[in-house]
Amino acid sequence: MRRVCTAILFGLISLSSGGCKRSPTLSESTVTGSILPDANHAIASSAASPADDGNWIMPGKDYASTRFSALGQITPDNIGKLGLVFTFSTATTHGYEAPPLVVNGTMYLITPFPNTLYALDLTKPGAPQKWVFKPEPAAASQGVACCGTVNRGAVYSNGKIIFNTLDGQTIAVDADNGRQIWRTQLGNIQKGETITMAPLVAGGKVLVGNSGGEMGVRGWLAALDEGSGKLVWKAYHTGPDKDVLIGSRFKPFYAADRGTDLGTKTWPPEIWKLGGGPMWGWISYDPETQAIYYGTGNPGPWNADQRPGDNKWTTGVFSRDVNTGEALWFYQTTPHDIYDHDDINESILADIPWGKGRRPVLLRPGRNGFFYVMDRRTGQVLSATSYGHMNGYLGVDLKTGRISINPQKEPKQGRVTRDICPAAPGQKDWNPSAFSPVTGLVYIPHINLCMDMSVSPANYIAGTPFVGADVKMYGGPGGYRGAVTAWDPLANKAVWEIHEELPLWSPALATGGGLVFYGTLDGWFKALDARTGKLVWRFKAGSGIIGQPISYRGPDGRQYIAVVAGVGGWAGGIVDGELDPRDPTAALGFANAVKDLPNKTTPGGMLYVFALPR
Amino acid sequence: MSSPFRASLIIAGAATLMVCGCKREERHSDSNPLAGSVPAGERQPTIYPGGGTPPPLDPRAARYENNAPALAEGQWLYAQMNCVGCHAHGGGGMGPALMDDKWRYGGRIDQIAMTIAEGRPNGMPAWRGRLTDDQIWKLAAYVRSLSGQPSKDAVSSRADEMSNTTPLTLTPRQGPRNADTAGR
Amino acid sequence: MKLATLAFLPALLGACSYQHYQSVFGNAGTDDHQFLTLFAIFMAVCTVMYVAVIAFLIVGILRRRRAGEANVVETGRHHRAHPLMRAGLIGWGAVVSIGLMALAITSFFTDRSMAQSAAHPRLSITVTGNQWWWDAVYNSADASQTLHTANELHIPVGVPTRIILRSNDVIHSFWLPSLAGKQDLIPGRETDISIVPKKTGIYRGQCAEYCGAQHANMAFVVNVDNYPDFINWWRQQLQPAPAPATPLAQAGFDYIAQHQCSMCHNIAGTPVGGQVGPDLTHFASRRTLAAGTLPMSVGNLHDWIADPQSVKPGTKMPKIPMEETDLRAVVAYLETLK
Repeated sequence: MRRVCTAILFGLISLSSGGCKRSPTLSESTVTGSILPDANHAIASSAASPADDGNWIMPGKDYASTRFSALGQITPDNIGKLGLVFTFSTATTHGYEAPPLVVNGTMYLITPFPNTLYALDLTKPGAPQKWVFKPEPAAASQGVACCGTVNRGAVYSNGKIIFNTLDGQTIAVDADNGRQIWRTQLGNIQKGETITMAPLVAGGKVLVGNSGGEMGVRGWLAALDEGSGKLVWKAYHTGPDKDVLIGSRFKPFYAADRGTDLGTKTWPPEIWKLGGGPMWGWISYDPETQAIYYGTGNPGPWNADQRPGDNKWTTGVFSRDVNTGEALWFYQTTPHDIYDHDDINESILADIPWGKGRRPVLLRPGRNGFFYVMDRRTGQVLSATSYGHMNGYLGVDLKTGRISINPQKEPKQGRVTRDICPAAPGQKDWNPSAFSPVTGLVYIPHINLCMDMSVSPANYIAGTPFVGADVKMYGGPGGYRGAVTAWDPLANKAVWEIHEELPLWSPALATGGGLVFYGTLDGWFKALDARTGKLVWRFKAGSGIIGQPISYRGPDGRQYIAVVAGVGGWAGGIVDGELDPRDPTAALGFANAVKDLPNKTTPGGMLYVFALPR
Repeated sequence: MSSPFRASLIIAGAATLMVCGCKREERHSDSNPLAGSVPAGERQPTIYPGGGTPPPLDPRAARYENNAPALAEGQWLYAQMNCVGCHAHGGGGMGPALMDDKWRYGGRIDQIAMTIAEGRPNGMPAWRGRLTDDQIWKLAAYVRSLSGQPSKDAVSSRADEMSNTTPLTLTPRQGPRNADTAGR
Repeated sequence: MKLATLAFLPALLGACSYQHYQSVFGNAGTDDHQFLTLFAIFMAVCTVMYVAVIAFLIVGILRRRRAGEANVVETGRHHRAHPLMRAGLIGWGAVVSIGLMALAITSFFTDRSMAQSAAHPRLSITVTGNQWWWDAVYNSADASQTLHTANELHIPVGVPTRIILRSNDVIHSFWLPSLAGKQDLIPGRETDISIVPKKTGIYRGQCAEYCGAQHANMAFVVNVDNYPDFINWWRQQLQPAPAPATPLAQAGFDYIAQHQCSMCHNIAGTPVGGQVGPDLTHFASRRTLAAGTLPMSVGNLHDWIADPQSVKPGTKMPKIPMEETDLRAVVAYLETLK
């Protein structure tokens, strides 16, 4: 009798406790994306972040760039059982930055140069290859790619996979059979232009931007028609207003960004043609207002003495109408940039509690070390808070929007300026953070590096670097070179922060199960508890990880986590390119910061896919 | 012969020898720029069928190999022609490292000159017609000095950029690991 | 008052020199004028003292020694001082002190007035020394008005101008004797010199610190213009290079853009963007070639481009193996760059 009672009691207790937490089952456990609107933390903008269908069709997961998968099967409690399901070798060993795409049972992988596109059939065991597409880009393009021959991803739209090649082409391929639909040449490697960014398809347009801020290239963002690949509009980021597509709808919030032809007036004569401002990073889109949001890259050359003036429209944030490309507003994050602080980082579209309702904002962990919360209707900066160690800037004046530079840390011709923090890759470079609408936190994988910098006159020869600077980087104060920060964008402070020995160059993934995934430069693929930052799982991959981890629902209903490990990019160039660390200025200074990396990892390009056991 | 006379004779003799030793190399401020001296083509370390040997080093290259003014000019050109942007100060970046012993396309001065003039398939630009042959030889000689090949009294003792790398006068010599290195 | 009455001296000295365009006695700039005034005062005072000392020396040599007063050995017993001698010594001490004080005071006032004229510059030019030419950037608060030129400056008369001096390689020295003094250009440092020109005209300056094989051929020209002429010059120099008008000039431009020239030289408004050598955008408007080495003329231009090493041996501009037709085309194009 007593045993029966105990058993019943036990059963009752376990049943009730089972109901308390989300129990992992084999069926679809999904946290719905539409969090209660009266939650007192930031939530993703609903139009830009629809309910999760288990696919991953664009690099940022959704137009709001949350990189959040609502799938909740894997949690901190059961992740101990997470195991490798299958692998795939991409046959390249350069830096792998792209996320795998998953669309209804097929996975697509785009590699760094030579930009091979693979399709894997997830419905069959071992995910065999369905087809492969080889675009054969020009080999010489490798000589004008500043920071690794990487590719940041493809995008799926209406039955097509669309991606860019290093030598400046945008290609659309049929997602079922891998046949080319259209191919458009946008960049010219003879001028030093390449394309490494992941395109975005919004409003029926394919949005593509160029790379080449270190090569004296004039930056732009172009829109191609999704069906035909023909150019619809192209907005430059320097030059007269008609080139920048600035017209009557342009209403910048701050006075410093208002005026006519500022794209020429804030440069010495003719220098804006070599000005830079390329768009090699992330674009977000708000389907409600049909506005895109993105940032522009650094002005050229790095030696700022050669380009007095504010250097518009580089290192700033644009909002444009996706249909015509007309600029709606612009905010220059870092006028007259002196540290190569490109502003191409991700803009997370969120709605934050404001007064009685919610305010539509952009959350931007900036390269220059400030976390920006901006009203995305007007471009007003609501807050700019430092999320790491910095001494190069003194602060951002919210009234004028202007950042102020520490004059002692300003590189000047004829002297070496030492101990500038953050270093040229900034507090965080291209690798995007993830936003969880469940916790309301932004998970930022970033770096902690400082640098010595000396500048000299740069010579412009088309097709060669236009830099004029020698840089040497090293770990910042604290003795750690990387960190993952869980940032509360309302309280403007870190909720938790964990330190990594090596700089973090991988993007983050946040899941509905309460996990944050990211990879380290020496190959550890790690999962943290999203609420506390505690390490709950890790796996050592064959090469350093700088690629976007994703999560998807497989054909069998399980939640899968996938990442491609292949060290390279700017941070991993010392391994990928076999550079010599005896010269601390190698790889634009990064080689000195990761001198120990060749002993810790080797080049690779392997896909790893994990899931819980059936 | 009296002792003071002998002493002054010895001193005079020594002074004469020293003065002769001063002119140890020729500085070519060239009205004769060796046009056409950088051979065209793609010669890289390779197999020479039938037991052949690599072609001998062009004697005109010897003018640049251990010539201090040429190395100094090469150092200046290396920065001005943006070699630093891709190869850093020998460590590499977009381009491979030049201060180590690995040479994809050969490490002899004429092979390096050819690489500079003709370019290479994976992104090295072709400078023929953009630099004179004289300038290309000077650059090739400087590139070799990054791995310590020339004699230490010819290399530049001063770097023009912020001092980071070991000075060239102390750089150890790294023999190129390459089959085609006759004339090491 | 002293300065005013001695003002005629600089004029005299100025008249002594046979040319005014590169002469310490040129007296064309405020600094130079102040220097010359100081020079005159020093000359006057020191001449008086010199003459007096020589006079005493001669008197001392010529005066016969009186018997009994010769070979006086100091025995340690003090003789009573001769009253005239005592008065004379005190008087001489007073004259020397007054003279030295006069020099010190005029020097102080000259320094102060030179510093005052340098205190509020209205024009700022950054001159960078290279082996063996001068790069100049006219600074402006409005970035799109900054002007980049080489080897020849235009400055407005009467306007205090501050020239910031930098060097890209070795120590040079900026010496513009008719207008101002001399100031070193030191790599790794920024120095400056101030000019307030008083007379319009054309002046020559040169490098005054040995900087290598062609130190002797590193000169520059400074044109002092009226203010409206200066503004017109600035505006005209801001324009991009004119497009080639004739087929020969077009061929010359094509040659420049596709060969060694474009690696080092800049022609604004075209893809030719090298920053290593002098800016060529308005090259033909200058009076000299190769930093004062040759006067600007078609013949000299042919000479220079055909073989710079024979004109200026050791210069960084290489001898480029050109066909004769290419040379004519290039010269034809460069001549249009006014």
